[in-house]
Amino acid sequence: MKKSHFCDAEPAPAFSNLPSVSLSQLAMISINIRSLLWLSAIFRVILIVYGEWQDSHMEVRYTDVDYLVFSDAASLMASGDSPYKRTTYRYSPLLAFFLIPNSIIHRSWGKFLFSASDLLVGVFIHSILKLRKVPEDLCMYSAVVWLFNPFTFTIGTRGNCEPIVCAMILWIIICLLKGNVLQAAFWYGLVVHFRIYPIIYVLPIILILDPLFFRSGLKPRLQNWSSRQDKTLRSSNKVTDQYDLWKALKTVFSKERVMFGLVSGAVFLSCTGLFFYLYGWEFLHEALLYHLTLQLVLIFRFAQDLPFCLFMQTVAFVAFNKVVTAQYFVWFFCLLPLILPWSNMKLKWEGLSCILVWIGAQLHWLMWGYLLEFKGKNVFLQLWLAGLLFLAANTFVLIMITCRHTYSPVFQRLGHPTLKNAEKNN
Amino acid sequence: MESQHVRLCIYYKVAILLMFFSAIGIQVGRCEANSDVNYNIKAFSSSKKYLMTSYFGKYEKLLDSNFEEFIANELRTSFCEVLPDNTSSVIRRSVLLRHLIGEGSHRNLLSSMRFYVDPKSLSRLPSHKCELIVIERLPSGIFADPFELQHLHQRGVLTDVAVFGDTNLELPSFRSNRSAVEIHMNVGSNRLLSQKDGLEIKVQLPLHARYQPLDESGYSQVEFGDPDLFLRCCIEGKLQNQSCLFIPTSENAERKTGRAVWRIPSGIKSHGGFVSVVTFVSAFISTILIVLTSFFCSDFKTCNRLKCS
Repeated sequence: MKKSHFCDAEPAPAFSNLPSVSLSQLAMISINIRSLLWLSAIFRVILIVYGEWQDSHMEVRYTDVDYLVFSDAASLMASGDSPYKRTTYRYSPLLAFFLIPNSIIHRSWGKFLFSASDLLVGVFIHSILKLRKVPEDLCMYSAVVWLFNPFTFTIGTRGNCEPIVCAMILWIIICLLKGNVLQAAFWYGLVVHFRIYPIIYVLPIILILDPLFFRSGLKPRLQNWSSRQDKTLRSSNKVTDQYDLWKALKTVFSKERVMFGLVSGAVFLSCTGLFFYLYGWEFLHEALLYHLTLQLVLIFRFAQDLPFCLFMQTVAFVAFNKVVTAQYFVWFFCLLPLILPWSNMKLKWEGLSCILVWIGAQLHWLMWGYLLEFKGKNVFLQLWLAGLLFLAANTFVLIMITCRHTYSPVFQRLGHPTLKNAEKNN
Repeated sequence: MESQHVRLCIYYKVAILLMFFSAIGIQVGRCEANSDVNYNIKAFSSSKKYLMTSYFGKYEKLLDSNFEEFIANELRTSFCEVLPDNTSSVIRRSVLLRHLIGEGSHRNLLSSMRFYVDPKSLSRLPSHKCELIVIERLPSGIFADPFELQHLHQRGVLTDVAVFGDTNLELPSFRSNRSAVEIHMNVGSNRLLSQKDGLEIKVQLPLHARYQPLDESGYSQVEFGDPDLFLRCCIEGKLQNQSCLFIPTSENAERKTGRAVWRIPSGIKSHGGFVSVVTFVSAFISTILIVLTSFFCSDFKTCNRLKCS
């Protein structure tokens, strides 16, 4: 097995430096991605079965309230009614459509569908990292960060639809990496129809569809993970980054960009138009204006490193949004494994401190929320402060991740003589 | 790479099939597992059996004055023959218990009532099948979840239950209208009613609090009025037609317990000013920090430990 990343004089990234276990020892335990996926699948099936048991036998239900809303809307749709007759149903009619088997086969059909998407996200994470030539062990650990993350495996098994959105977004990234702009556009239009928040990704995607990287008939060239430490490669990109921005403004209407915009716009409008015609549904417009500044800055700074840019945007969006719920965390958890191989953060103690601070701030906030809702105490002021503390925790984690991240553009320029260093590391 | 991808896809499909078959194989849950998937919204549709349907057919909102007028005048025309006014001699009611169980925003309203029917009046009528109708007019700021009640109904706790009025779960109390819960309970034939000790009924209703308007004390007190009771007896064998009787219970109920009061936390207006300012400043500082970090700290090469920490 290649150990090229061990030969660097630079300190190796955190995940290849796990305490007390050397990489060669791990290689002997032949866990591969297939076994991981099987294990995750079995674990999720067990959780779904347990969830059914808990629903029937305990006061507190395992299933999310939203799942009951989807199921009701789906059964309304099955009997020919509008799913919006169900109060608090605010999703796309597509979701209700996919859950129609809930009334026909078994009420847990939706949970299995969402958990399957959950597994699909794990597969996609692995694929994306393989495409960027990340070593197998790092790919696996990154996939583990999603597959065995307690936030994420409970989301699907409790009946939340977010894993479907995550799977679509990661598939869009895969399409872009492989140069399938048309397919990426189609899925992007669909995902924005499904959930409005991915609209924040439109600018970085458009920016990365640069004619320097994308040309018809040619597959885009990806930068390797192993060349992330290469100063010359990055500095040349850095110099041209600013130049590229001007060129991008001039060539803003490149063929790929126009195609992407038209196709995704068409898909989005036809889905929305069709459902508006059928159900008279109106959009939920989120007040995006006050997020705008932060989004623009992050895009300007990080667009070339697409997964990192999307991750930063998503965390910033969730942290500053006026409504925060645990299911929104899934939006950036599916992108976190994509940036970990480029992070220099060590688990001890920086990584651990980020995790503990983030979870600690949440638990603190939840505690006050519990006292207000279930004990009836007037703790509005404390709850508000806990919310601000959580914002501070998110800011802290964002700053830490940014400081420890090795900014690595995804694509190489086409039609240029390959740099010697890049060839060596291939 | 490609073959591995293909293999992954195949395994993924097998996993889906496995889950599909285990979904079919799962038989966990109550015997009525499949039936409660279909929350039948049509159960709430207007039918002659609900009093409140007629009320909301005539009036837009639930107001006490309108409701009393409805009971006095409309009942007779909309439904059935109401027994003569001197019902005080026919029925006596005594409220035994009116209590809120639980803490916080989700509580149960426990009511226990006993009512006595004068056997002489009842014996004049042919054998009836009687149903007790309890109408709980919820105060502003409290709501009942129709789906939760439907769940109770399916577990056999209540014969029939419906929620009328504003059932929007998300609006605060000053933006929503009052709602009412109508519960039907089977009490058997009128022969059973004319027992000496009368009939005792117990109702436990799960209720939820809305966000309250601001109050300097930090809490809002919400008081529950007494429920309205009606006894509807239909002639044996003929349901839902004109030949049934309404026997409204008397207003002068004997009361053995105080009214139920719910103390709900509310915001304090004087906090509003500094909350806005501090929130804005915090958001502003966080934004600035993230922007600065993006520009000065994102490249590992240019950022050493000293700069970042």
